Amino acid sequence: MQREFRDASSGPVKHVANRLLHALNQDVPQVERESKSTDMSETWEDHLRRTFRSMITARTLESKLASLYKAGKIVGGVYIGPGQEAVSASIGSCLTWNRDIFGALIRDQGGRTAFGEPILDATRSYLGSVKGPSKGRDGNIHRGHPAQGLPAMISHLGAMVSVVAGMLLARRLQGRLDGIVGAVSVGDGASSTGSFHEGINLAAVERLPLVVVLTNNQFAYSTPTDRQFRCRSLVDRAIGYGIPGYEVDGTDLLASLEVISKAVTEARQGGGPQLVVANLLRLSGHGEHDDGSYVPDEIRNSALGRDCMEVAEHQLLQAGFVTEAELESWKNEAAEQVQAAVAQAQQEPSPDPYTDDWSVYASPELAEDC
Amino acid sequence: MPEVPILMPQLGESIAEATIIRLNVSVGDQVVADQEVIEVETNKATMDVTTLCGGTVRELLVEEGVSYPVGTVLGLLDVTEEEATRTGVQPGGTEDPVSSGSPAEAEEARAHFATPEGGAHEPRKVEPSIRGLSVPAGMKGAHYLSPRMKARMDELGLRAADISAIVGSGSGGRVTVEDLEQFLEYISTWPHSQASPMRLSVADSMRRSWSRPLASVGRPVALDNLLNYRRSLDPKPPLTIFLLRAFGKALSEEPASAGYLIGEKIVHPRAFDIGVAVQVEDGVLVPVLRQVDTRNVGELMEEYLELVRRARERRVPEENTGGGIATVTNFGTFGLMWGTPIPLPSETLILGIGAGKKKPSWSEEEDKFVPVTEADLVLTFDHRVVDGGGAGMLLNRLNDLLQEPENL
Amino acid sequence: MEEVTYIDAIREAQHDLLASDERVFIYGQDVGDFGGAFKATQGLKSLYPDRVIDSPISEDAMIGLAVGASIEGMRPIVEMQFADFSSVGFNQIVNQAGTQFYRTGVPAPITVRLPSGGTPGSGPFHSQMMESVYAYYPGLVIVTPATVADAYSMLVDAVALDDPVLYCEHKFLYRWLKSDRLSDDDEKLPIGQARIVRAGKHATVVAYSAMVHEALRAADLLAEEGWEIEVVDLRSVKPLDTDTIVASVARTGRLLAVGEAFPWGGVTSEIVSRVTNDGFHLLDAPPQRLNSRDTPVPYHPNLWEAHRPTLESIAAAIRNLLRL
Repeated sequence: MQREFRDASSGPVKHVANRLLHALNQDVPQVERESKSTDMSETWEDHLRRTFRSMITARTLESKLASLYKAGKIVGGVYIGPGQEAVSASIGSCLTWNRDIFGALIRDQGGRTAFGEPILDATRSYLGSVKGPSKGRDGNIHRGHPAQGLPAMISHLGAMVSVVAGMLLARRLQGRLDGIVGAVSVGDGASSTGSFHEGINLAAVERLPLVVVLTNNQFAYSTPTDRQFRCRSLVDRAIGYGIPGYEVDGTDLLASLEVISKAVTEARQGGGPQLVVANLLRLSGHGEHDDGSYVPDEIRNSALGRDCMEVAEHQLLQAGFVTEAELESWKNEAAEQVQAAVAQAQQEPSPDPYTDDWSVYASPELAEDC
Repeated sequence: MPEVPILMPQLGESIAEATIIRLNVSVGDQVVADQEVIEVETNKATMDVTTLCGGTVRELLVEEGVSYPVGTVLGLLDVTEEEATRTGVQPGGTEDPVSSGSPAEAEEARAHFATPEGGAHEPRKVEPSIRGLSVPAGMKGAHYLSPRMKARMDELGLRAADISAIVGSGSGGRVTVEDLEQFLEYISTWPHSQASPMRLSVADSMRRSWSRPLASVGRPVALDNLLNYRRSLDPKPPLTIFLLRAFGKALSEEPASAGYLIGEKIVHPRAFDIGVAVQVEDGVLVPVLRQVDTRNVGELMEEYLELVRRARERRVPEENTGGGIATVTNFGTFGLMWGTPIPLPSETLILGIGAGKKKPSWSEEEDKFVPVTEADLVLTFDHRVVDGGGAGMLLNRLNDLLQEPENL
Repeated sequence: MEEVTYIDAIREAQHDLLASDERVFIYGQDVGDFGGAFKATQGLKSLYPDRVIDSPISEDAMIGLAVGASIEGMRPIVEMQFADFSSVGFNQIVNQAGTQFYRTGVPAPITVRLPSGGTPGSGPFHSQMMESVYAYYPGLVIVTPATVADAYSMLVDAVALDDPVLYCEHKFLYRWLKSDRLSDDDEKLPIGQARIVRAGKHATVVAYSAMVHEALRAADLLAEEGWEIEVVDLRSVKPLDTDTIVASVARTGRLLAVGEAFPWGGVTSEIVSRVTNDGFHLLDAPPQRLNSRDTPVPYHPNLWEAHRPTLESIAAAIRNLLRL
């Protein structure tokens, strides 16, 4: 992996990633072997392996979904996150299902898988199975398990920041906040919304253990970053909120996991909200209906355009954390799991308008016939 | 000397009243503009009431520890003309309801919700922004039925005609449901009986027919030729068959008279089938003879007699029911001279004939009055389709045909 | 017995909720030691310091936070300083709170208090009625208490409900409306049920919130002219108690729906629409609506008086209705 890196870590805040980037360029992966995850029983190496496996599953699943979309099998659109798996899976792998909170966004299959969302949730949602988490009432990436710590995003960007903050505040009021962290995923587009600002500011005021991972993938649909913000780097915004900020090369799994792990640990230990800005390039269109032809070749060919899967594979092989044979078996296993999940969802019934109870209220006595 | 009030100010959103904490001035004190003269407290904060301009405290109208509504006059200042002019203050007695008057009045003025017991309420002139269609002009009395009235009448099986006797008490003289109920209550003690199905069927038929503009014209017809000819036959055909036959013939020459107006089209008859009104118990039946224009009196007679007989037994065969274009009714058999019969709702025309009567008629040939048997022919028609002239010509043609009964 | 005001009832309900239910917390601007802009939370912070929380001026995030907290089992009460400002939190209310149960099966039991309606001199941004806007959206419950007892019991019920509730409290009633008791168990009705507050036979006036009192006063005035006007207090505009409205129209044959909100669409339109759908056969006259004028709420009391329905304009509208 000898391509040039853009210096993505020269911000005024923390530069945890810098050292790793440097190490990688030297082809000397001097990765520390002690655990950086909160689960003290897990080694750093295992944490990396676990994260990477989630990336593989996510990429395999999303490739399959894109293919099904092109085969006309998908209900609605398909929104995938190639190029963002390293960052996303790093978030998910730092969190514990049913304990921590993850406000996943549009390109977070990696994080969802790493956090513990079954891949059947995705195939059921996309293929229109009534057994999906929304029973067909909502679809694709709007799925979730709020009660297990995975709120179901709405399309309005930035809106989940305050929701995750609220979940954390509730834990505090209930005396259940100790060691808990909530992460929320946003993009460069979301960073321009009032909701994003209000949410982070509020979390900072309350000093909640919220990790905001802002993946700057260079395009909000077709809008480039120079039409989105004027600041040098979005990580500068952390200063304004009075919270620590980190910038990292999002194509780099080692760097991403280390930075995100650190931010999560800081938050868990009472350090208040953390902002992580990960720079990378979205390696797809906005959705599968979009070919992304507006992305200039210069960016595609820059360090931002690296595929995090290739980088990670290289990194882990180099470090001796994984063997070629293991990799092969991981990929095969992912393919089998995905195939099984697709097959199962396809065999399941679609929602039936005649048997759906059309209940919009949790209190059935409020229902009106109209 | 002008008098300027010290007012309880609006101290915040939704604050209605405040409590006097301390009066910082006494009667007779000199004050300057914007001087804090009274300390008040709301459940939000403590504040000071200031003067509008300089002057002398003439009167303090409030007590410490008591709450007063916003807008209350707390005290009065005597102010020089120059000071009033200089500060632009309106002297007391201003008509602004918000800033003057007794506490009670001020409350009433501001308090949109002052309790009704708070005294006589003077409605203010507020142009109400209300709209709504009124009952159309002319649609008064029983002519205008509200949806509610219609629904109640449907429930009771009533028609608009049934309530024509009721004087309405509603707006525009409309009959209300209450009026109807009262009327029904009023007539409930009158003797009554159940209408027969035959009666209800005729009623329905007549109501539907009456929805059209029907008009009647008449003329006398001399029956001597017909009566003489009839006497020569054995058996003697009833007079009505000649009428039936002549009517069919005349209509086949002018089929437009029997047309229906449907929208913008005149629908013409497919065949000249004509019915005969037969009085039966509690109603009328109309058996129909088919293609009267193509059959002469002799050919019609047997069927006619049979149909009349069966009608009286109320057993009109299916094939002779409905589908006619006109009806003939011989009300002369009841000794009647004249009438305005109503056609069936599915027909445009009805021809009636009164009783024959001998009358003197001037004969040019004999230069004297001679006796003539005469009856009146009456034709009721749908004036949308036929006019008086057309109907008259049809009657004249009938008269001509009846003068040559041997050709019928 | 000491008199209880409408705002006292709101404060007492919140006090009792905090006292009886550890899931309840209050979140809003200035609600802490300051006691809220209208003093609806006065003294509560000192009693429950952890559960009465001052928020930044972030209406969007305030609602988002409440939804998040409700997912975790809490029962947040969010105070919008003015109903008008809830427009900033509109997205979270209608898209986050309103859709969550439908989309995920996990309820979002939040209560948003909206100090609503006009007071003299409050102007365009401190006077709005928002109930019609929110009633448009599925999944939300909108209550509009008009009495002291309802102000208390409906807030308690709102918090108990597993669905997001917009509690529209009328600022004009805060201190003008008084009662000798906080609640009345005999009169208590569940959310979703309207109350006939005055019986009559010549026309039905359906109103809610502060307009109930205007309608009652108009009915008093009409009584002097020999008309018996029935007044229905909706209590909640969503769910809308169509049955009670239609039953009333069945008795009177005439309907006037009165609302303080802007005239285009909204609650009064919905009432007229439902009555013409379900009860056309009950009508003696075309159903009528009376709303505020189609301008921003004016500042000066003279204009404000003529902007919203009042005793006089309601009485005029009833007289007109009786002539139709």
